[in-house]
Amino acid sequence: MARLAFHDVTVQYPVYDVRAKSLRSQLVRMSTGGRIEQESSGVQIVTAVRNASFSFADGDCVGLTGHNGAGKSTLLRAMAGVYRPAHGNVAREGRVSTMFELGAGMDSELTGYENVVRMSLLLGLTQAQIRTRMADIESFTQLGTFLRLPVRTYSAGMTTRLMFAVATSTAPDILLVDEIFSAGDAEFQARAAERMHALIASVRIFVFASHDMLTLKRYCNRFLRLEHGVVSEVSASDL
Amino acid sequence: MLADLRQALGLFHVIVYMAVGDLRSRYRRSVLGPLWITLGTAAGTVGLGLVWSELLKMDRAVFVPSLTAGLIMWQLLSGCITEATTTYWRQSALLRNVSGVPLSMPPIQMVLKHLINFLHNVPVFIVVALYFHVRVTPATALVLPCMMLLALNLFWITLLLSMLGARFRDLEYVIGAAMPVLMFLSPVFYRPDYLPFNQAFVWANPFSHFIELVRYPLLGAAPPDFVVLVNILMCVAGGAFTLLLFNAKHDRIAYWL
Repeated sequence: MARLAFHDVTVQYPVYDVRAKSLRSQLVRMSTGGRIEQESSGVQIVTAVRNASFSFADGDCVGLTGHNGAGKSTLLRAMAGVYRPAHGNVAREGRVSTMFELGAGMDSELTGYENVVRMSLLLGLTQAQIRTRMADIESFTQLGTFLRLPVRTYSAGMTTRLMFAVATSTAPDILLVDEIFSAGDAEFQARAAERMHALIASVRIFVFASHDMLTLKRYCNRFLRLEHGVVSEVSASDL
Repeated sequence: MLADLRQALGLFHVIVYMAVGDLRSRYRRSVLGPLWITLGTAAGTVGLGLVWSELLKMDRAVFVPSLTAGLIMWQLLSGCITEATTTYWRQSALLRNVSGVPLSMPPIQMVLKHLINFLHNVPVFIVVALYFHVRVTPATALVLPCMMLLALNLFWITLLLSMLGARFRDLEYVIGAAMPVLMFLSPVFYRPDYLPFNQAFVWANPFSHFIELVRYPLLGAAPPDFVVLVNILMCVAGGAFTLLLFNAKHDRIAYWL
Protein backbone atom coordinates (compact mmCIF):
# COMPACT_ATOMS: atom_id res chain seq x y z
CA MET A 1 0.00 0.00 0.00
CA ALA A 2 1.25 3.45 -0.87
CA ARG A 3 0.57 6.62 1.04
CA LEU A 4 1.57 10.24 0.75
CA ALA A 5 0.45 12.53 3.54
CA PHE A 6 1.27 16.16 4.27
CA HIS A 7 0.54 17.44 7.73
CA ASP A 8 0.64 21.22 8.12
CA VAL A 9 3.60 21.49 5.75
CA THR A 10 5.24 24.81 5.01
CA VAL A 11 8.00 24.96 2.41
CA GLN A 12 10.24 28.00 2.38
CA TYR A 13 13.28 28.54 0.33
CA PRO A 14 15.96 31.16 0.53
CA VAL A 15 16.75 33.22 -2.53
CA TYR A 16 20.29 34.56 -2.45
CA ASP A 17 21.40 37.52 -4.45
CA VAL A 18 24.96 37.83 -5.71
CA ARG A 19 26.14 39.36 -2.45
CA ALA A 20 24.81 36.57 -0.28
CA LYS A 21 26.38 33.98 -2.55
CA SER A 22 29.76 35.59 -2.10
CA LEU A 23 32.04 34.34 0.60
CA ARG A 24 33.86 37.66 0.65
CA SER A 25 30.77 39.71 1.54
CA GLN A 26 29.85 37.16 4.21
CA LEU A 27 33.29 37.54 5.77
CA VAL A 28 33.06 41.32 5.59
CA ARG A 29 29.63 41.08 7.18
CA MET A 30 30.93 38.92 10.01
CA SER A 31 33.83 41.20 10.71
CA THR A 32 31.89 44.46 10.55
CA GLY A 33 28.35 43.55 11.57
CA GLY A 34 25.87 46.29 12.45
CA ARG A 35 25.08 48.76 9.75
CA ILE A 36 26.65 46.95 6.83
CA GLU A 37 24.85 43.76 7.74
CA GLN A 38 21.59 45.41 6.67
CA GLU A 39 22.94 46.23 3.27
CA SER A 40 24.81 43.07 2.50
CA SER A 41 22.71 40.18 3.80
CA GLY A 42 20.68 39.87 0.56
CA VAL A 43 18.75 36.74 1.52
CA GLN A 44 15.03 36.65 0.88
CA ILE A 45 12.80 33.92 2.14
CA VAL A 46 10.06 32.81 -0.22
CA THR A 47 7.21 30.82 1.24
CA ALA A 48 6.22 28.55 -1.61
CA VAL A 49 3.76 26.32 0.22
CA ARG A 50 1.90 27.40 3.34
CA ASN A 51 0.39 25.05 5.93
CA ALA A 52 -0.60 22.36 3.45
CA SER A 53 -2.39 19.29 4.78
CA PHE A 54 -3.68 16.49 2.58
CA SER A 55 -3.41 12.77 2.22
CA PHE A 56 -3.28 10.52 -0.83
CA ALA A 57 -3.89 6.79 -0.80
CA ASP A 58 -3.97 3.94 -3.33
CA GLY A 59 -5.95 4.79 -6.43
CA ASP A 60 -5.63 8.54 -6.12
CA CYS A 61 -4.74 10.34 -9.31
CA VAL A 62 -4.22 13.92 -8.30
CA GLY A 63 -4.08 16.92 -10.58
CA LEU A 64 -2.26 20.05 -9.42
CA THR A 65 -3.23 23.36 -10.95
CA GLY A 66 -2.20 26.92 -10.37
CA HIS A 67 -0.65 29.88 -12.11
CA ASN A 68 2.99 30.07 -13.03
CA GLY A 69 4.93 30.44 -9.82
CA ALA A 70 2.03 29.27 -7.67
CA GLY A 71 4.32 26.66 -6.15
CA LYS A 72 3.41 23.52 -8.12
CA SER A 73 6.96 22.41 -8.80
CA THR A 74 8.07 23.19 -5.27
CA LEU A 75 5.15 21.21 -3.87
CA LEU A 76 6.05 18.27 -6.13
CA ARG A 77 9.68 18.43 -4.99
CA ALA A 78 8.52 18.46 -1.38
CA MET A 79 6.42 15.36 -2.15
CA ALA A 80 9.49 13.70 -3.65
CA GLY A 81 11.59 14.53 -0.59
CA VAL A 82 14.00 16.72 -2.57
CA TYR A 83 12.91 19.79 -0.61
CA ARG A 84 12.51 19.37 3.13
CA PRO A 85 9.71 21.41 4.71
CA ALA A 86 10.55 24.31 7.03
CA HIS A 87 7.95 22.86 9.38
CA GLY A 88 5.28 20.22 9.23
CA ASN A 89 5.56 16.62 8.42
CA VAL A 90 5.62 14.60 5.20
CA ALA A 91 4.85 10.89 5.36
CA ARG A 92 5.74 8.74 2.37
CA GLU A 93 5.18 5.03 1.95
CA GLY A 94 6.14 3.33 -1.28
CA ARG A 95 8.76 3.80 -3.95
CA VAL A 96 8.66 7.28 -5.45
CA SER A 97 9.55 8.09 -9.03
CA THR A 98 9.73 11.57 -10.47
CA MET A 99 9.42 13.08 -13.92
CA PHE A 100 10.37 16.74 -13.48
CA GLU A 101 13.27 17.71 -15.66
CA LEU A 102 14.31 14.61 -17.56
CA GLY A 103 17.79 13.31 -18.17
CA ALA A 104 19.37 13.55 -14.73
CA GLY A 105 22.79 11.93 -14.86
CA MET A 106 23.00 11.94 -18.63
CA ASP A 107 26.47 12.39 -20.08
CA SER A 108 26.49 13.33 -23.75
CA GLU A 109 29.93 11.80 -24.41
CA LEU A 110 28.70 8.33 -23.47
CA THR A 111 26.67 6.07 -25.74
CA GLY A 112 22.92 5.63 -25.58
CA TYR A 113 23.29 2.23 -23.92
CA GLU A 114 25.69 3.53 -21.28
CA ASN A 115 23.35 6.42 -20.54
CA VAL A 116 20.38 4.11 -20.15
CA VAL A 117 22.30 2.19 -17.49
CA ARG A 118 23.52 5.38 -15.78
CA MET A 119 20.14 7.05 -15.60
CA SER A 120 18.37 3.86 -14.58
CA LEU A 121 20.85 3.16 -11.77
CA LEU A 122 20.27 6.67 -10.47
CA LEU A 123 16.53 6.08 -10.58
CA GLY A 124 17.11 3.13 -8.25
CA LEU A 125 17.00 0.15 -10.60
CA THR A 126 19.46 -2.73 -10.31
CA GLN A 127 21.70 -3.96 -13.13
CA ALA A 128 19.52 -7.06 -13.50
CA GLN A 129 16.33 -5.00 -13.75
CA ILE A 130 17.97 -2.76 -16.33
CA ARG A 131 18.97 -5.77 -18.44
CA THR A 132 15.39 -7.07 -18.49
CA ARG A 133 14.06 -3.63 -19.46
CA MET A 134 16.63 -2.91 -22.13
CA ALA A 135 14.66 -4.63 -24.91
CA ASP A 136 11.60 -2.57 -24.07
CA ILE A 137 13.64 0.65 -24.10
CA GLU A 138 15.25 -0.33 -27.41
CA SER A 139 11.94 -0.94 -29.09
CA PHE A 140 10.26 2.12 -27.63
CA THR A 141 12.98 4.59 -28.59
CA GLN A 142 13.38 3.06 -32.07
CA LEU A 143 16.90 4.44 -32.05
CA GLY A 144 18.35 1.15 -33.32
CA THR A 145 22.10 1.30 -33.86
CA PHE A 146 22.16 4.94 -32.71
CA LEU A 147 22.11 3.55 -29.17
CA ARG A 148 25.74 2.56 -29.74
CA LEU A 149 26.72 6.15 -30.59
CA PRO A 150 27.43 8.95 -28.14
CA VAL A 151 24.34 10.90 -27.12
CA ARG A 152 25.94 14.15 -28.32
CA THR A 153 25.32 12.96 -31.90
CA TYR A 154 21.55 12.73 -31.26
CA SER A 155 19.00 15.31 -32.31
CA ALA A 156 16.92 16.96 -29.58
CA GLY A 157 14.00 14.69 -30.40
CA MET A 158 16.13 11.56 -30.20
CA THR A 159 17.52 12.63 -26.83
CA THR A 160 14.00 13.21 -25.55
CA ARG A 161 12.97 9.72 -26.68
CA LEU A 162 15.84 8.21 -24.76
CA MET A 163 15.21 10.22 -21.59
CA PHE A 164 11.48 9.57 -21.75
CA ALA A 165 11.96 5.84 -22.28
CA VAL A 166 14.23 5.58 -19.23
CA ALA A 167 12.04 7.75 -17.02
CA THR A 168 8.98 5.64 -17.86
CA SER A 169 10.71 2.29 -17.43
CA THR A 170 10.69 2.43 -13.63
CA ALA A 171 7.88 0.72 -11.76
CA PRO A 172 7.14 3.03 -8.83
CA ASP A 173 4.30 3.04 -6.32
CA ILE A 174 4.06 6.82 -6.39
CA LEU A 175 4.61 8.75 -9.61
CA LEU A 176 5.10 12.52 -9.58
CA VAL A 177 4.97 14.31 -12.92
CA ASP A 178 5.57 17.99 -13.69
CA GLU A 179 3.89 18.94 -17.01
CA ILE A 180 3.79 16.41 -19.79
CA PHE A 181 6.23 17.58 -22.36
CA SER A 182 5.47 17.44 -25.99
CA ALA A 183 8.56 16.75 -28.02
CA GLY A 184 9.37 14.73 -31.08
CA ASP A 185 7.19 14.05 -34.08
CA ALA A 186 3.47 13.31 -34.03
CA GLU A 187 3.98 9.56 -34.27
CA PHE A 188 6.29 9.59 -31.25
CA GLN A 189 3.87 11.74 -29.27
CA ALA A 190 1.13 9.22 -29.79
CA ARG A 191 3.33 6.39 -28.58
CA ALA A 192 4.56 8.49 -25.64
CA ALA A 193 0.97 9.19 -24.57
CA GLU A 194 0.19 5.48 -24.77
CA ARG A 195 3.26 4.59 -22.68
CA MET A 196 2.42 7.28 -20.14
CA HIS A 197 -1.11 5.93 -19.92
CA ALA A 198 0.14 2.44 -19.16
CA LEU A 199 2.55 3.76 -16.53
CA ILE A 200 -0.16 5.82 -14.81
CA ALA A 201 -2.43 2.79 -14.77
CA SER A 202 0.28 0.72 -13.07
CA VAL A 203 1.05 3.09 -10.18
CA ARG A 204 -0.84 3.41 -6.92
CA ILE A 205 -0.64 7.18 -6.52
CA PHE A 206 -0.21 9.58 -9.40
CA VAL A 207 0.35 13.30 -8.95
CA PHE A 208 0.44 15.51 -11.99
CA ALA A 209 1.01 19.25 -12.27
CA SER A 210 -0.26 20.91 -15.42
CA HIS A 211 -2.03 23.88 -16.95
CA ASP A 212 -3.82 21.70 -19.44
CA MET A 213 -7.32 21.18 -18.02
CA LEU A 214 -8.29 18.54 -20.58
CA THR A 215 -5.34 16.30 -19.78
CA LEU A 216 -5.86 16.84 -16.06
CA LYS A 217 -9.51 15.79 -16.26
CA ARG A 218 -8.61 12.81 -18.40
CA TYR A 219 -6.09 11.32 -15.97
CA CYS A 220 -7.08 12.57 -12.52
CA ASN A 221 -9.83 11.91 -10.03
CA ARG A 222 -8.83 14.48 -7.38
CA PHE A 223 -7.72 18.05 -7.92
CA LEU A 224 -5.68 20.44 -5.83
CA ARG A 225 -5.40 24.12 -6.61
CA LEU A 226 -2.44 26.18 -5.49
CA GLU A 227 -2.87 29.89 -5.01
CA HIS A 228 -0.02 31.91 -3.53
CA GLY A 229 1.22 28.81 -1.77
CA VAL A 230 -2.13 27.86 -0.29
CA VAL A 231 -3.39 24.42 -1.25
CA SER A 232 -7.11 23.77 -1.55
CA GLU A 233 -8.95 20.74 -2.89
CA VAL A 234 -11.46 21.46 -5.63
CA SER A 235 -13.91 19.35 -7.61
CA ALA A 236 -13.53 18.62 -11.31
CA SER A 237 -16.31 21.03 -12.23
CA ASP A 238 -14.55 23.94 -10.47
CA LEU A 239 -11.41 23.68 -12.54
CA MET B 1 22.73 12.21 8.45
CA LEU B 2 24.33 8.88 9.20
CA ALA B 3 21.31 7.39 7.47
CA ASP B 4 22.26 9.42 4.42
CA LEU B 5 25.81 8.00 4.52
CA ARG B 6 24.54 4.48 5.01
CA GLN B 7 22.22 4.87 2.04
CA ALA B 8 25.11 6.16 -0.08
CA LEU B 9 27.27 3.18 0.90
CA GLY B 10 24.37 0.91 -0.04
CA LEU B 11 24.52 2.50 -3.48
CA PHE B 12 28.27 1.96 -3.74
CA HIS B 13 27.99 -0.08 -6.95
CA VAL B 14 26.12 2.84 -8.53
CA ILE B 15 28.82 5.26 -7.39
CA VAL B 16 31.55 3.08 -8.89
CA TYR B 17 29.67 2.87 -12.18
CA MET B 18 29.19 6.64 -12.25
CA ALA B 19 32.83 7.41 -11.38
CA VAL B 20 34.15 5.04 -14.05
CA GLY B 21 31.65 6.51 -16.53
CA ASP B 22 32.84 10.04 -15.74
CA LEU B 23 36.41 9.04 -16.56
CA ARG B 24 35.43 7.11 -19.65
CA SER B 25 33.44 10.04 -21.01
CA ARG B 26 36.28 12.46 -20.40
CA TYR B 27 38.75 10.47 -22.46
CA ARG B 28 36.26 8.97 -24.92
CA ARG B 29 37.47 10.96 -27.89
CA SER B 30 41.18 10.45 -27.32
CA VAL B 31 43.35 7.63 -28.64
CA LEU B 32 45.08 6.72 -25.39
CA GLY B 33 42.04 7.30 -23.17
CA PRO B 34 42.80 7.60 -19.46
CA LEU B 35 46.41 6.59 -20.25
CA TRP B 36 46.87 10.30 -20.98
CA ILE B 37 46.91 10.80 -17.22
CA THR B 38 49.76 8.31 -16.94
CA LEU B 39 51.62 9.84 -19.85
CA GLY B 40 51.30 13.36 -18.47
CA THR B 41 52.68 12.33 -15.12
CA ALA B 42 55.51 10.38 -16.75
CA ALA B 43 56.50 13.41 -18.85
CA GLY B 44 56.35 15.65 -15.77
CA THR B 45 58.50 13.27 -13.78
CA VAL B 46 61.19 13.00 -16.43
CA GLY B 47 61.33 16.73 -17.10
CA LEU B 48 61.16 17.93 -13.52
CA GLY B 49 63.43 15.12 -12.32
CA LEU B 50 66.21 16.07 -14.74
CA VAL B 51 66.05 19.80 -14.05
CA TRP B 52 65.36 19.88 -10.33
CA SER B 53 67.88 17.20 -9.39
CA GLU B 54 70.56 19.43 -11.00
CA LEU B 55 69.10 22.57 -9.48
CA LEU B 56 68.95 21.15 -5.98
CA LYS B 57 72.25 19.28 -6.51
CA MET B 58 70.65 16.06 -5.37
CA ASP B 59 71.39 12.44 -6.21
CA ARG B 60 68.85 11.41 -8.85
CA ALA B 61 68.35 7.98 -7.29
CA VAL B 62 67.07 9.72 -4.16
CA PHE B 63 65.41 12.74 -5.68
CA VAL B 64 63.45 11.35 -8.64
CA PRO B 65 61.48 8.64 -6.74
CA SER B 66 60.59 11.14 -4.03
CA LEU B 67 59.57 13.70 -6.65
CA THR B 68 57.39 11.16 -8.47
CA ALA B 69 55.67 10.16 -5.24
CA GLY B 70 55.12 13.83 -4.43
CA LEU B 71 53.68 14.59 -7.88
CA ILE B 72 51.18 11.73 -7.93
CA MET B 73 50.07 12.55 -4.38
CA TRP B 74 49.65 16.21 -5.28
CA GLN B 75 47.55 15.34 -8.32
CA LEU B 76 45.23 13.35 -6.10
CA LEU B 77 44.93 16.05 -3.45
CA SER B 78 44.59 19.03 -5.76
CA GLY B 79 42.24 17.18 -8.11
CA CYS B 80 39.82 16.38 -5.28
CA ILE B 81 40.01 19.76 -3.63
CA THR B 82 39.75 21.88 -6.77
CA GLU B 83 36.78 19.96 -8.11
CA ALA B 84 35.07 19.58 -4.74
CA THR B 85 33.62 23.09 -4.70
CA THR B 86 31.50 22.38 -7.77
CA THR B 87 30.38 18.85 -6.84
CA TYR B 88 26.83 19.73 -5.90
CA TRP B 89 25.93 22.10 -8.63
CA ARG B 90 27.42 19.89 -11.29
CA GLN B 91 24.99 17.23 -10.07
CA SER B 92 22.15 19.66 -9.48
CA ALA B 93 19.95 18.16 -12.22
CA LEU B 94 20.10 14.89 -10.34
CA LEU B 95 19.68 16.23 -6.82
CA ARG B 96 16.78 18.52 -7.74
CA ASN B 97 14.82 16.09 -9.83
CA VAL B 98 15.29 12.57 -8.56
CA SER B 99 13.79 11.30 -5.36
CA GLY B 100 15.97 9.45 -2.87
CA VAL B 101 19.50 10.35 -3.95
CA PRO B 102 21.64 10.59 -0.80
CA LEU B 103 23.49 13.91 -0.57
CA SER B 104 26.73 12.24 0.46
CA MET B 105 26.81 10.37 -2.85
CA PRO B 106 28.31 13.05 -5.15
CA PRO B 107 31.31 13.72 -2.85
CA ILE B 108 32.04 9.99 -2.55
CA GLN B 109 31.82 9.71 -6.34
CA MET B 110 34.28 12.61 -6.68
CA VAL B 111 36.85 11.07 -4.31
CA LEU B 112 36.49 7.71 -6.02
CA LYS B 113 37.03 9.24 -9.45
CA HIS B 114 40.28 10.82 -8.27
CA LEU B 115 41.41 7.60 -6.61
CA ILE B 116 40.91 5.83 -9.94
CA ASN B 117 42.91 8.63 -11.55
CA PHE B 118 45.59 8.02 -8.96
CA LEU B 119 45.71 4.33 -9.87
CA HIS B 120 46.56 5.38 -13.42
CA ASN B 121 49.57 7.24 -12.06
CA VAL B 122 50.87 4.40 -9.90
CA PRO B 123 52.61 2.62 -12.83
CA VAL B 124 54.79 5.71 -13.35
CA PHE B 125 55.99 5.44 -9.78
CA ILE B 126 56.58 1.70 -10.12
CA VAL B 127 58.74 2.20 -13.22
CA VAL B 128 60.73 4.93 -11.47
CA ALA B 129 61.10 2.78 -8.35
CA LEU B 130 62.39 -0.17 -10.38
CA TYR B 131 64.76 2.00 -12.38
CA PHE B 132 66.31 3.63 -9.31
CA HIS B 133 66.18 0.44 -7.18
CA VAL B 134 63.94 1.87 -4.45
CA ARG B 135 64.02 -0.50 -1.49
CA VAL B 136 60.95 -2.67 -0.96
CA THR B 137 60.62 -3.35 2.75
CA PRO B 138 57.84 -4.61 5.03
CA ALA B 139 56.96 -0.93 5.52
CA THR B 140 56.00 -0.72 1.83
CA ALA B 141 52.85 -2.66 2.68
CA LEU B 142 51.79 0.31 4.83
CA VAL B 143 50.85 2.10 1.60
CA LEU B 144 47.40 0.52 1.71
CA PRO B 145 46.30 1.50 5.24
CA CYS B 146 47.88 4.93 4.75
CA MET B 147 45.95 5.44 1.51
CA MET B 148 42.77 4.45 3.30
CA LEU B 149 43.37 7.00 6.03
CA LEU B 150 44.07 9.60 3.38
CA ALA B 151 40.89 8.66 1.49
CA LEU B 152 38.87 9.23 4.68
CA ASN B 153 40.47 12.63 5.08
CA LEU B 154 39.77 13.45 1.44
CA PHE B 155 36.15 12.44 1.91
CA TRP B 156 35.40 14.91 4.67
CA ILE B 157 37.34 17.67 2.93
CA THR B 158 35.40 17.04 -0.28
CA LEU B 159 32.06 16.92 1.52
CA LEU B 160 32.85 20.13 3.39
CA LEU B 161 33.98 21.97 0.26
CA SER B 162 30.98 20.63 -1.68
CA MET B 163 28.61 22.15 0.86
CA LEU B 164 30.49 25.43 1.13
CA GLY B 165 30.87 25.59 -2.65
CA ALA B 166 27.12 25.08 -3.14
CA ARG B 167 26.36 27.96 -0.80
CA PHE B 168 29.22 30.32 -1.71
CA ARG B 169 29.85 30.38 -5.42
CA ASP B 170 33.13 32.28 -5.26
CA LEU B 171 34.83 29.56 -3.21
CA GLU B 172 35.69 27.83 -6.49
CA TYR B 173 37.88 30.78 -7.49
CA VAL B 174 39.41 31.16 -4.03
CA ILE B 175 40.53 27.53 -4.11
CA GLY B 176 41.60 27.77 -7.74
CA ALA B 177 43.85 30.71 -6.87
CA ALA B 178 45.23 29.11 -3.71
CA MET B 179 46.17 25.68 -5.04
CA PRO B 180 49.17 26.63 -7.24
CA VAL B 181 50.68 28.58 -4.34
CA LEU B 182 50.04 25.69 -1.97
CA MET B 183 51.82 23.37 -4.37
CA PHE B 184 55.09 25.23 -3.81
CA LEU B 185 54.50 25.60 -0.07
CA SER B 186 53.87 21.87 0.23
CA PRO B 187 56.60 19.24 0.04
CA VAL B 188 55.82 18.11 -3.52
CA PHE B 189 59.21 18.69 -5.13
CA TYR B 190 61.18 18.43 -1.92
CA ARG B 191 61.02 16.57 1.40
CA PRO B 192 60.45 18.52 4.62
CA ASP B 193 63.94 17.58 5.86
CA TYR B 194 65.60 19.24 2.83
CA LEU B 195 64.72 22.63 4.21
CA PRO B 196 67.65 24.55 5.57
CA PHE B 197 65.41 26.38 8.05
CA ASN B 198 62.86 25.38 10.65
CA GLN B 199 60.85 22.35 9.52
CA ALA B 200 57.97 23.31 11.79
CA PHE B 201 56.96 25.75 9.05
CA VAL B 202 56.31 22.90 6.62
CA TRP B 203 54.58 20.72 9.17
CA ALA B 204 52.09 23.50 9.91
CA ASN B 205 50.70 22.80 6.42
CA PRO B 206 48.18 19.93 6.49
CA PHE B 207 49.14 18.99 2.93
CA SER B 208 52.61 18.04 4.16
CA HIS B 209 51.04 15.45 6.41
CA PHE B 210 48.80 14.08 3.65
CA ILE B 211 51.69 13.79 1.20
CA GLU B 212 54.28 12.39 3.60
CA LEU B 213 51.84 9.86 5.05
CA VAL B 214 51.87 7.96 1.76
CA ARG B 215 55.29 9.02 0.46
CA TYR B 216 57.20 7.38 3.31
CA PRO B 217 55.80 3.87 2.68
CA LEU B 218 56.07 4.36 -1.10
CA LEU B 219 59.80 4.87 -0.56
CA GLY B 220 60.00 1.87 1.73
CA ALA B 221 59.94 3.49 5.17
CA ALA B 222 57.27 3.65 7.85
CA PRO B 223 55.82 7.16 8.24
CA PRO B 224 56.88 8.94 11.45
CA ASP B 225 54.44 8.56 14.33
CA PHE B 226 53.53 12.23 14.46
CA VAL B 227 52.53 12.25 10.78
CA VAL B 228 50.18 9.31 11.35
CA LEU B 229 48.86 10.90 14.51
CA VAL B 230 48.17 14.25 12.86
CA ASN B 231 46.37 12.46 10.02
CA ILE B 232 44.20 10.54 12.46
CA LEU B 233 43.47 13.69 14.44
CA MET B 234 42.52 15.60 11.28
CA CYS B 235 40.32 12.72 10.24
CA VAL B 236 38.50 12.63 13.59
CA ALA B 237 38.23 16.38 14.15
CA GLY B 238 37.56 17.35 10.53
CA GLY B 239 35.22 14.42 10.04
CA ALA B 240 33.23 15.26 13.17
CA PHE B 241 32.99 18.94 12.26
CA THR B 242 31.92 18.18 8.69
CA LEU B 243 29.32 15.64 9.78
CA LEU B 244 27.89 18.12 12.30
CA LEU B 245 27.67 20.77 9.59
CA PHE B 246 26.23 18.26 7.13
CA ASN B 247 23.66 17.29 9.72
CA ALA B 248 22.71 20.91 10.37
CA LYS B 249 22.55 21.97 6.71
CA HIS B 250 21.48 18.70 5.09
CA ASP B 251 17.92 19.90 4.49
CA ARG B 252 19.04 23.22 3.00
CA ILE B 253 21.46 21.91 0.37
CA ALA B 254 18.78 21.22 -2.26
CA TYR B 255 17.60 24.83 -1.97
CA TRP B 256 21.10 26.16 -2.65
CA LEU B 257 21.34 24.49 -6.04
